[in-house]
Amino acid sequence: MIRTPPLSLKRAAIAVAAAAALGTSALPRADETSCSPFTPLIMGQEEFVYVWTLGVEGVGDGSDKLVTVDVNPKSKTYGKVIASLSVGGRNEVHHLGLSDDRRYLWGGGLDSSKIFVFDIHSDPAKPRLAQAIDDFVEKSGGIVGPHTFYATPGRMIITGLSNNRDHGGTTAHVVYNNQGKHVQTVPIPTAEIGGVQGDGYNYDVAINPAKNAMISTSFTGWNNYMMDLGKLVKDGEAMKRFGNTTVMWDYKAMKPIKIFNTPGAPLEARWSWQRGDNWAVTTAALTSKIWVFRQDGKGEWQAHEVGTIGDPAQIPLPVDISLTRDGKGLWINTFMDGTTRYWDFSDPMKPQEVYTKKIGSQVNMVSQSYDGKRVYFTSSLLANWDKKGADDEQYLKMYHWDGKALKEGFTIDFYKEKLGRAHHMKFQVRDMSKLKPLHAASDNPESLRMAAGTER
Amino acid sequence: MLALALALLLHAGATAADAGHGAAPPAPMAFVPPAPGSYELMRIMDAADGRVLDTEGRARDLSRYTGGKVTLLSFVYSSCADAAGCPYAYLVFHQLQSRLARDPQLAGQVRLVSLSFDPVRDTPEVLALYAGDQARPGRAVEWAFLTTASVKDLLPILDGFGQDVFLDVDPASGAHLGTYSHVLKVFLIDRDRTVREVYTTAFLMPDMVYNDILTLLMETGAKPE
Repeated sequence: MIRTPPLSLKRAAIAVAAAAALGTSALPRADETSCSPFTPLIMGQEEFVYVWTLGVEGVGDGSDKLVTVDVNPKSKTYGKVIASLSVGGRNEVHHLGLSDDRRYLWGGGLDSSKIFVFDIHSDPAKPRLAQAIDDFVEKSGGIVGPHTFYATPGRMIITGLSNNRDHGGTTAHVVYNNQGKHVQTVPIPTAEIGGVQGDGYNYDVAINPAKNAMISTSFTGWNNYMMDLGKLVKDGEAMKRFGNTTVMWDYKAMKPIKIFNTPGAPLEARWSWQRGDNWAVTTAALTSKIWVFRQDGKGEWQAHEVGTIGDPAQIPLPVDISLTRDGKGLWINTFMDGTTRYWDFSDPMKPQEVYTKKIGSQVNMVSQSYDGKRVYFTSSLLANWDKKGADDEQYLKMYHWDGKALKEGFTIDFYKEKLGRAHHMKFQVRDMSKLKPLHAASDNPESLRMAAGTER
Repeated sequence: MLALALALLLHAGATAADAGHGAAPPAPMAFVPPAPGSYELMRIMDAADGRVLDTEGRARDLSRYTGGKVTLLSFVYSSCADAAGCPYAYLVFHQLQSRLARDPQLAGQVRLVSLSFDPVRDTPEVLALYAGDQARPGRAVEWAFLTTASVKDLLPILDGFGQDVFLDVDPASGAHLGTYSHVLKVFLIDRDRTVREVYTTAFLMPDMVYNDILTLLMETGAKPE
């Protein structure tokens, strides 16, 4: 018995046409810190925060672990650690990345080059290790230090930070499929493109599908990121070995199209998802400069230095950033003074710092909820770069943001809880069935129009 | 005619209703996709296999529909109302079928597959209606509409391709509402049954898919006009 009216071409066209005509004004767009636009996003209240935590000798079991914190305000265990999954050993764990279906969470170790894939959908309150990938260096052709995990459909782009030849900064993007198999290694350019010499360094990556654009930034190699920070800053030769470039790529072709001079280790990269916006932003750790990359009238990408964070002479060391869902505000953490800074990005070419707050003796990562009302901070940068003694605070702190001031919600002391150094965060919910990617629905009206409106 | 009317309708930002006749220029893409053959598509994974039913109710191996030609495969269900989901994929497929049919050299080398993830309601008879003229034998570009005999047959295929599907349920009763939540994924598969691209709505742009198809065909010597 036929109970379902079949989808005729006409019915399909009308449905798509209506969506395109509606545009995107009613549709949510979100930051959720650094999620890929291909990953379904949490538009409402996040329920869990996973913290990728570095093991510390003498603290708990001393091993790296994925820590799960209950952040559902309606829960009896709100603001508490509810699970801790040790992966054994210390890997210099650093960043996490959600898979394209948000069922799995990938995390890497910058020292061991191991990758851990956690199942976060079977029981989001209690992740389990689904797969450990220990052939990254071999399969990638000698790439070391898996850093960013950025989901694309069916795949994960992993930025490498170094190589096994000289442990310097020449490296590559490495693509794995969702089954954990190596797909391709894409070198960072070392040749000159458009008059700018590539340095081959890498750090973060971010994709804007609507522009077929991918941006990548640059940090430093294993020799430096594993060195004690106090020793590093006194080593003139070592200090020369930091990335100074940002690269714009043709995402589809995975080919670099332009290299920009952005001195002093440009780190986190974010695109503005506001409709009509065509820019990305990064901050350079050693020069404290803010860079915006925007298409000019001819569609060519151009780099603009648009601001200075704190006093560069003091090397405040801007680290993580988080762009609001509408691209109008940017949180910038400066590690050395433990301060977060909110910049008004209403005009991305002339941003202004409008609010600062000291979070702790040191602060590294910042992640905000979709609505921007909840902002989470963690403390650790790298095991050998974190502060020493009493200044080595390790925490997860949650604040409420009303647009004017941060008000503390809860704090978890990661040393008191015998966990370790708190680094990268990702959010999760129990029910993922209604989550949609950033550009889902009619957030791609040009394609909808073309499909509905024309026969080529 | 329908297409032209809709183009006008969209241009005016009106709601979906009858519109007048006339030619409306295609909306510009946000970017120009790279030229066919100027790039290489990754070899992402092997295409999953399993048992499927065609619109005649005949049991087949899915691999029959994923090898030998360049294949574009999408998971759909016939009552899907998410405009950016199945209807959008349906229109993209329709446009590609029409466009590829104009080049006889290419038409026979490409296949479209719509595979239902609703085996309960999307019987072969329903799918035959859903397919309409698109699946008529003799069309220059083959478009197969497939379903499965059971959820048991379907799940390994979904898992193999990495296609998430959630049943929508009534929060009060827990009863299935008859709809599904899913993020649209479309898979481009080469002649050797290797998945070479996965598109979601954000990146399912007809011109780019067309160029990707040509890129795969050029790997085996095709020279598109």
